[in-house]
Amino acid sequence: MGGFEDYLSIFTKAVFIENIVLAYFLGLCSFLAISKSIDASVGIGMAVVVVLTITAPINWFIYEFLLAKGALVWLNHLPYGLSLSYDFSNTDLSFLKLIVFISVIAAMVQLVEMFMERFSQSLYNSLGIFLPLIAVNCSILGGSLFMVEREYDVTQTIVYGFGSGVGFFLAIVALASVRYRLRYSNIPPRLRGVGMAMLLTGLLSMAFMAFSGIDL
Amino acid sequence: MNFLKKILAESGKLFEEGKPLSFAYPLWEATDTILLSTNSQNKSGPHIRDNMDIKRTMFFVVIALIPCYLFGAYNIGYLHSAAMGVPSSILSDFILGMTYVLPILIVTFIAGAICEITFAVIRKHEINEGFLVSCALIPLTMPPDIPLWQLFMGTCFGIIIGKEIFGGVGTNVFNPALTARAFMYFAFPTKISGEKVWAVGPDGYTGATALSIPANPTEYDTATNLFNQVTQFDFSTLNLFWGLIPGSIGETNKLLILLGGLFLIYCGIASWRIMIASVLGLVFTAGLFNLLADYSTNAMLTITPLQHILIGSFLFGTVFMASEPVTSTHTNKGRWIYGFMIGLLTVIIRSVNPAYPEGVMLAILIMNMFAPLIDYYIVKSNINMRLSRNA
Repeated sequence: MGGFEDYLSIFTKAVFIENIVLAYFLGLCSFLAISKSIDASVGIGMAVVVVLTITAPINWFIYEFLLAKGALVWLNHLPYGLSLSYDFSNTDLSFLKLIVFISVIAAMVQLVEMFMERFSQSLYNSLGIFLPLIAVNCSILGGSLFMVEREYDVTQTIVYGFGSGVGFFLAIVALASVRYRLRYSNIPPRLRGVGMAMLLTGLLSMAFMAFSGIDL
Repeated sequence: MNFLKKILAESGKLFEEGKPLSFAYPLWEATDTILLSTNSQNKSGPHIRDNMDIKRTMFFVVIALIPCYLFGAYNIGYLHSAAMGVPSSILSDFILGMTYVLPILIVTFIAGAICEITFAVIRKHEINEGFLVSCALIPLTMPPDIPLWQLFMGTCFGIIIGKEIFGGVGTNVFNPALTARAFMYFAFPTKISGEKVWAVGPDGYTGATALSIPANPTEYDTATNLFNQVTQFDFSTLNLFWGLIPGSIGETNKLLILLGGLFLIYCGIASWRIMIASVLGLVFTAGLFNLLADYSTNAMLTITPLQHILIGSFLFGTVFMASEPVTSTHTNKGRWIYGFMIGLLTVIIRSVNPAYPEGVMLAILIMNMFAPLIDYYIVKSNINMRLSRNA
């Protein structure tokens, strides 16, 4: 493994075959809520791409050097003759990974938010409450957890995080444009809004089944 | 016609507002407009004011599909007699095939009519002829011995989820016939995919489609050689065109599909841009894969562009489903992109995805999903262009 082909295959898989929204149904809350407008969808899609690409490798470092079983073994070999009178080679802090990952994500989202407020006021206003809510967007936590489960190395993690973000971007922009076309449709009153969006998500993921089963 | 008019006018009074039968007004209205011409104009729909109203549009599509039905029935009978090894005439083959086609057709129309009428009555809209087209398309995409209850469920899903919940004809996002087929494809895969369902014959008889042969070769060879090794069917390029091969009911004879396509283009119903663009996309991708074939052991990559066009349901899907006016892109530039991507995705799904030997259905559904996006950005770039020109 390794090399350009491997990264390309991870990227394609993350965007199309195992699309984080349409194959795993993660991150649906912002997916359904923001997709009312195309421009806001593009904005949140980009925010998710950025946050995922940054948080996944940060979480990888934290997991590899602090949380995983035996990750703290470097504490046994401190330089300058320092030594802690404890054997860390069996320490397993991976039960902490949920809470640690979430706090890293929350901090990163805060940074992105500040950045956006400074440089793109209109986008910041149109995203409203949903920008801070990316912090609890399960697609981003999902990205970090899948990275642990699939035992990626650091470059693979970056590629995977970026790919998942692009997958989310593609899905939310597609849903937003479909809803944009439906604005004059005579939809049954009880289905208008989120109900229709849920049904559309199902139909979109049925179309995305085209890619499932591709073995890269 | 006067007595008909009188009967309808008399009975019409029973369906007026406040009368006991008023809930069934759409039914009366449909009978009235099918039997007699109306002086009402279209209020909605996918087209501009023209003497091609929505009824005639839909009806012309159904007319274009009839030859495919007739040949499909003959083909079923022909393959059956060939499998039994008995001599037969064109007429007996045709009648045998009809015993398979007619039940499928009847069940589809009953299911479609039930859904359409129920929605028309509850939502108080007119009965639209759109369901005739969807119901005429669904049987043509089916294998001959599809279980009828599955067909019934699939049609209901396609008409309700694919069309009615969006508000009926002209406002749907996904092609209803393809939604129905995709639903059946994923819900009951054993009866609508694989090698056993595409032709009928004695017990234990299998009729593989041309696509499944390079998809599962016993040993690696080029697709043309693999086709020539098949003794059961004639998969030469010429016979792929004439269509005496196993496949869905309507997809095999390419001549009739092309004639239907020309008819639709002549009437201005289907978009020639989409058809040409999707053929271009397919030829481009297939040609590219031909170049890459030396580096791979996937026999699907060696199928030539011409074979790609002729095998499977590519032409059928392009002519009758991809190019329809509602679910495709609505801008001319968008139509080129949309069609090209359908051709490209078809070859990619066929060649790269081992799970599905055929990719037209899913390629069209995916592009249905992205069509509004393509339109949105083309319209937006036009607006920006004009703004900068007139600034």
